[in-house]
Amino acid sequence: MRTFFPVEELARDRRFTRITINDRMSDPRTLGGRSDDAVEGAKPKKKNNNNRLVPSRPDASDAARGLMHGIFVGEIQALEGAGRTCHDFAISNIPGSGPSGADSDPLSGNTVPFALKLDMARQAWDEARHVEMSIKLSNWMGTEIGQFAENTVLFEAACSSDPVFRLAGVNRALEGLAIDVFTTMKDFGDIAGDPYLEFCEDWMLADEVTHVKMGSDWLRRVTENDPDRRKKALEFQNVVDKLFSYSGTRSESEESPIGLARRFRELAGFSDAEVDDIAEVSLAALNERKDSVAQMRAAAAKQLSEQLSGV
Amino acid sequence: MADPYKPRAPFAPWDRRELPGLFDVEDSARRVGNYKWAEIKLFEALGGWVATVPELDVKMRLGTHCYKHAWHAELWHKRLPELREMNPDRLTKPANAELEKFVEALTEPEAPELTIEKLVGVYRVFIPHFIAAYTFHKNNTSQITDAPTIRSLNFILQDEFEDWRDGEMLLQSLIETPEEVDRAAAHQAKLSKLMLAAGGIAGPGSIGMPAVHQPVTSSNGS
Repeated sequence: MRTFFPVEELARDRRFTRITINDRMSDPRTLGGRSDDAVEGAKPKKKNNNNRLVPSRPDASDAARGLMHGIFVGEIQALEGAGRTCHDFAISNIPGSGPSGADSDPLSGNTVPFALKLDMARQAWDEARHVEMSIKLSNWMGTEIGQFAENTVLFEAACSSDPVFRLAGVNRALEGLAIDVFTTMKDFGDIAGDPYLEFCEDWMLADEVTHVKMGSDWLRRVTENDPDRRKKALEFQNVVDKLFSYSGTRSESEESPIGLARRFRELAGFSDAEVDDIAEVSLAALNERKDSVAQMRAAAAKQLSEQLSGV
Repeated sequence: MADPYKPRAPFAPWDRRELPGLFDVEDSARRVGNYKWAEIKLFEALGGWVATVPELDVKMRLGTHCYKHAWHAELWHKRLPELREMNPDRLTKPANAELEKFVEALTEPEAPELTIEKLVGVYRVFIPHFIAAYTFHKNNTSQITDAPTIRSLNFILQDEFEDWRDGEMLLQSLIETPEEVDRAAAHQAKLSKLMLAAGGIAGPGSIGMPAVHQPVTSSNGS
């Protein structure tokens, strides 16, 4: 078995359909936000900019089911990523402990502490249970496996040859996003009067807080004497945070479907300044998306106008 | 009311534990180091394979079992200093080069079509050998001096039996044709031969030496 498994080869059964993040972000339905926007028509009316995923949204059912399916495929990739970190690196202080008897990763020379591997194995179990939970919840919500597409951006963040980058990208950025998503879904279950959903999301949230804290602790310990490596890892985290903001899908603005769960992020070891940074990055991503939508609508209006005048 | 000062036997009549055991401290530490190495190799393989198997139910079970074997490795890691091995990494090694070859062959299958081979290696060869070595250790070590090892072995054996059953049932559900039966058997035979050469998880003597030693006799039989 190779070390560093390529994302293109992630194994799935034939129910799954894969798309890239570019496919998703260029989909007008993603850019256009809520489905009621699309039927708004030309008649000007006062626009409600609240897109937060709440049961009162006209498209709440579909949006919640889509988000749950996104959680499901995200958990599969998180499971795969944690498993690969168990496999891909030699253990510090044990010569020949790497794959094929290597002392360290032949490319980067990296090793990981034994206890870090144990934590990743624990995370693999947690993610496996999350996959189980999200399958049952999807079924509860009336969704079939593969009904929505899967993008593999999560696993890509777990492919770095530096384990510290994996911790920053997956445990801090991605699992941080999971805290935001699960908080939103938990609140959704609460407001919708769905104790089944609320119960499960709360349990998953507890695990995610643990995973983020684990990532924060290991990042600090492994880079204790290597400030440059830490700096680069945190920069990588910022990039992933922005990417995982999905063009403003997650931010503190009510225009974003998913909120930023400050309290749980603090429990997970994020400082106030770090949460402020993520809030800023997410808001910037939202504004970029709004600009794109405005440009796209202007272009569409212009095209329509040209077509109509040509008739 | 019973007299609390009445002398009682230090061992209750139902407590039949024995003091002697087959392993001294050094023997135990060596075996525990071998166990730790093998459990590490197993959880690494299971974790690595998660991304390579398309079957969703198998994917989830591998993730779950990955943690269980990591926990076993952690238990052995913690036991080593209690066996006077203050540098647990020193004894974290394979029993011999043949066992390394076995692990190399075990982890060789990667393609998504090879789930049967992956599971056969773990659940029909590796885990049955863990169960055998652990059972031998549990039944032969001193029940009093080595009680902490026995406690760990009991927890671990429960996991091993459950995981073996999970894996075997997955295999039975995946094998659908006579050709697949042959595939599974061929891979099992290949790996079993390598394990035979290694002598088991802890090398020769992993499950004792069952052959009876005949006393040397003179040529006339006297």
